[in-house]
Amino acid sequence: MEPELTLEAVDRDGAIAEALDELTGGTRADFLRKAVIGGAATGAALATPALAKGRNTAKDIAILRFDLNLEYLQAAMYSEAERLRQLKPRTLEWARVVGANERGHVRAIRGLLGRDAVKSPKFNFRGVTEDDSVFTETAVAFEDLTAALLKTQAAQVDSRGVLAALVSLHSVEARHAAWIRHIAGIVPAADAFDEPTSKARVVRLVDSTNFVTSRPRTKGRRRPRYTG
Amino acid sequence: MRRSELGAALALGGVLIGVALAVVLLEGSAGPSSADPGLPPSPRSALAPRNVPLGRDPLAFWAPVRESVSARVSPTQPQAAGEVPRRTPEGTTNIVLVLGHAKRVEGRLWVEVRFPAVPDDARGWVPRSVLGGYTPVRTRLVVDREGLTATLARGRRPVFRTRVGVGTESTPTPGGHFYVRNQLRRYRSPFYGPIAFGTSARSRGLSDWPAGGFVGIHGTDRPDLIPGRVSHGCIRMTNADIIRLARLMPIGTLLTVR
Repeated sequence: MEPELTLEAVDRDGAIAEALDELTGGTRADFLRKAVIGGAATGAALATPALAKGRNTAKDIAILRFDLNLEYLQAAMYSEAERLRQLKPRTLEWARVVGANERGHVRAIRGLLGRDAVKSPKFNFRGVTEDDSVFTETAVAFEDLTAALLKTQAAQVDSRGVLAALVSLHSVEARHAAWIRHIAGIVPAADAFDEPTSKARVVRLVDSTNFVTSRPRTKGRRRPRYTG
Repeated sequence: MRRSELGAALALGGVLIGVALAVVLLEGSAGPSSADPGLPPSPRSALAPRNVPLGRDPLAFWAPVRESVSARVSPTQPQAAGEVPRRTPEGTTNIVLVLGHAKRVEGRLWVEVRFPAVPDDARGWVPRSVLGGYTPVRTRLVVDREGLTATLARGRRPVFRTRVGVGTESTPTPGGHFYVRNQLRRYRSPFYGPIAFGTSARSRGLSDWPAGGFVGIHGTDRPDLIPGRVSHGCIRMTNADIIRLARLMPIGTLLTVR
């Protein structure tokens, strides 16, 4: 008899339960929470066959989907900054190089997730991509947080292949963090040790930016009143 | 001991110490590895990320209007360049073209935009906070009033071309640079065909037309009149063509009428 798939079994680090608690508590459902729950739901639907075939486990899918959303956000923000060209040359060069890395991360994680990949949400960067100092501050926060999150996840994944992937992403994100810290005039490596961070903290930060937005309603069904 | 004997003794001592060190180092390096069961092979990464270049620059960006606002002629001058409502007359979210210039004035970020006006699109500055997220525009529809054709290009590559109906001599299709701002379908009006696009262009002779006299791009229940100068300013095409165009032309597409 196969073991029963429970939330506890899928969500050993408590991230999904935490997300569910927040949702049922009536708070705004942001895309990262949806990613965690969506990952778990997909994992539950595929659970045993996926595990039996040696594919990503439910927990690894949830972790990768969470990371994919974070990569979507970073790739979109840096790509928009590069296209708008409103930043100072040094910051723009950072956005150009790091944007290419983040788009590579998106493509690679999507490829790994296959049908389990989520679509990119719509973003509104609210002027951050057009203002050098605000962009730099925001990028420092995202890169520091991503490096810290990947460190946390490395201890949580089931697959050694996914672990190796997270470690390879982690070192690149840490370089991004050091570089943008240098641009911002912050000591790139102030402490001897870095603390890991939780998904909940990432969710809170992304929520606080209000970058994730709904798609505008540009299609309608009213009878046209154009000149004809 | 003579000086030469002392030198020889020191040299011999140095050689002996060197040999002893080499033996210790060799044993030290060989010893543990021969006793070690060996490390497992490193796991192969599940990912192989490669940099992805940004690609070609878009033609423009569009953004939805989140709050109705008076556009200014400049961020520092309160003189109004025009009104930018939140909704179109068709009830969809209004959009503007973002021209890629931003200025921070007294702590507030302002951006330059293009929005519908008479006779052509107007330019003005609005607070960034009244706009939503930016979407790159990569398509342009060129309507040739002489040749009675419409050509859609993605970047520089034409992806769609057809014959069209345009405005009559008394109600001409306005010439200039505009953009597509909404799409309507599933309405009950055979006159407009199955799909109608709203544009930022406005008829110059029909300012009292209901809903402001905006020019549309739509199908028709009179395909026999296409191509021709038959409309009140709208760009008409056959229903099969408008359905095909709708698959290729996203909101925000630039419209050039020449």
